[in-house]
Amino acid sequence: MKKDILRLGTSLALYAVAACVALALVYSITAPTIAGLAQQQLEASLTDLFPDAESFEAVKDALPSVDTAVAFEGAWTAKRGANILGVAIKANGKSYGGAAVMLVGISTDKRISGARILTLSDTPGLGANALSPTYFVDKSSKTTFPGQFSGKPVSDPFEVKNDVTAITASTITSKALTLMVKRSGEAGSAWLEANAAGGVK
Amino acid sequence: MNLGTIFLASLLVENVVLMRFLALCSYVGMTSDVGQSVGMGFAVTFVTVLATAATWPIYHFILVPLGIEFLQILVFILVIASLVQLVEFYLKKNVPGLYAAMGIYLPLITTNCAILAVTFDNITKNYNLIQSIVYAVGVSAGYLLAMVLLAGVRDRIKTSPIPKFLQGTPILFVATGLITVAFMGFAGMIK
Amino acid sequence: MKRLLNILLKGIITENPLLMLMIGLCSALAVTSSVANGIGMGLAMTFVNVFAELVISLFRKAIPNDARIPIFIIVIAAFTTIVDLVMKAYFPELSKAMGVFIPLIVVNCIIMGRVEAFAYKQPPIDAIFDGIGMGIGYTWVLVGIAAVRELLGAGTIAGIQIMPEAFQPILFFTLPPGGFIVFALFISLNIWLNKVQNNRAAAKEAA
Repeated sequence: MKKDILRLGTSLALYAVAACVALALVYSITAPTIAGLAQQQLEASLTDLFPDAESFEAVKDALPSVDTAVAFEGAWTAKRGANILGVAIKANGKSYGGAAVMLVGISTDKRISGARILTLSDTPGLGANALSPTYFVDKSSKTTFPGQFSGKPVSDPFEVKNDVTAITASTITSKALTLMVKRSGEAGSAWLEANAAGGVK
Repeated sequence: MNLGTIFLASLLVENVVLMRFLALCSYVGMTSDVGQSVGMGFAVTFVTVLATAATWPIYHFILVPLGIEFLQILVFILVIASLVQLVEFYLKKNVPGLYAAMGIYLPLITTNCAILAVTFDNITKNYNLIQSIVYAVGVSAGYLLAMVLLAGVRDRIKTSPIPKFLQGTPILFVATGLITVAFMGFAGMIK
Repeated sequence: MKRLLNILLKGIITENPLLMLMIGLCSALAVTSSVANGIGMGLAMTFVNVFAELVISLFRKAIPNDARIPIFIIVIAAFTTIVDLVMKAYFPELSKAMGVFIPLIVVNCIIMGRVEAFAYKQPPIDAIFDGIGMGIGYTWVLVGIAAVRELLGAGTIAGIQIMPEAFQPILFFTLPPGGFIVFALFISLNIWLNKVQNNRAAAKEAA
């Protein structure tokens, strides 16, 4: 009886080890590509927010967040030559279906240059419409949910149903994302004031 | 994201069977009788909560620190399979009546996509342990609800005139589609 | 050769896993809101199925009967993970669109079922053909359902506009209830086709 279990256990272990080795191999081949894709997406998003920028420089220290609901994972200054055009902040906050990650650009004239959603796992057909390039909060001007923040002054109230149009039947998602843009706007413009004094005003 | 919202959302708004299309094999196979559906629903609830309690710590305290997240699929499914095996042993020894009644459907719980999906969701949605357990209970309750609903409908179908081309399995899916339309009405519930 | 062809055809029609055997349903409805997703899922599942059946058939003498289920799971999980990693690296949009359904291939009853019922007892060449046959059977139904759902629900097939501009897409079909109804009709169609096939065979015998 004991010998049987030992035999079964050993063969099971052998297959498990073989599987792990095979997977480690495939992982080592694919991991660099997967990481590279994440970097590519970041760069594409940064360029999207600041099309006039020539380069992006990562800000060394993470920006402090006054709101526990929104955390800042990183920031990049958009530069054209020696001039700072603005700063892009990667914000992490809780949305309906879990964590949401956004990249918000704040230009030196204290406006949101744009907002891009990097990660969102909300309900398809409802909250997930924030990601859809064909879902418009304003059908006549074909503005998407994140698109409505472009050019918006940081000093605006950023309230859903007030100055922000929500996604139909997805108030929680809309509020969560709006809060992230608002906090990013506040932190970004504060940072620009402190650090981009010599930049284009 | 408070716990009540997580529970209600997984029970109704994003019902695991009707809105996410998971656990369909058991849904079609085990709803011929309301009692059977209830039994299956509870068994799945039990395994799902246990699986969550086991896989969440394994992911966060073993897989991530060691950088071997790519073993997630392998590890999670083996954990679930082992749990189901343990439940089988336990039932066989201590509750033989239930064991006999469940028959072949007990080992089939391992391949219930809803359970594996829940363990994965806990990670993708970045839930902490408490949220994960509430989510697991909510999803299982949603599964139980869908099963009981269909069992009830199937009972009614037995005595209803069904057009020839829909007899058998097709009418079950049509019925499911209609129930789903009703569930879609819950969409605006969570504000 | 005829034997192998029969094995292949079996999975495609007479023992079609989705329409006849009614297994592996979850992924079939979830990913069929668009043809692109349907094809992607079909190919991913076929890959895992073929390789899992192949490996288990090759090692069938070296898999002890009492430990066979866990070993099947290990092999299937390994190939599912490979598909998941490869898709994340080389087909990231498709991977994101299908979400949790790629890892869920590991609990796809079709693969588990074929491995247990066929690959464990048959030689590797037969196992490969069975894997491919079942994969094709799975994929064509997926693409069929997806074509109907995408065409009626969005007016496109694989993103290409087919319906005229004036056509108002019936969103219902891309949503869950539409999926269930379309699937019901497919099953109904298949039952009818089978009946016609059987009648023809019976008529031939009687003649």
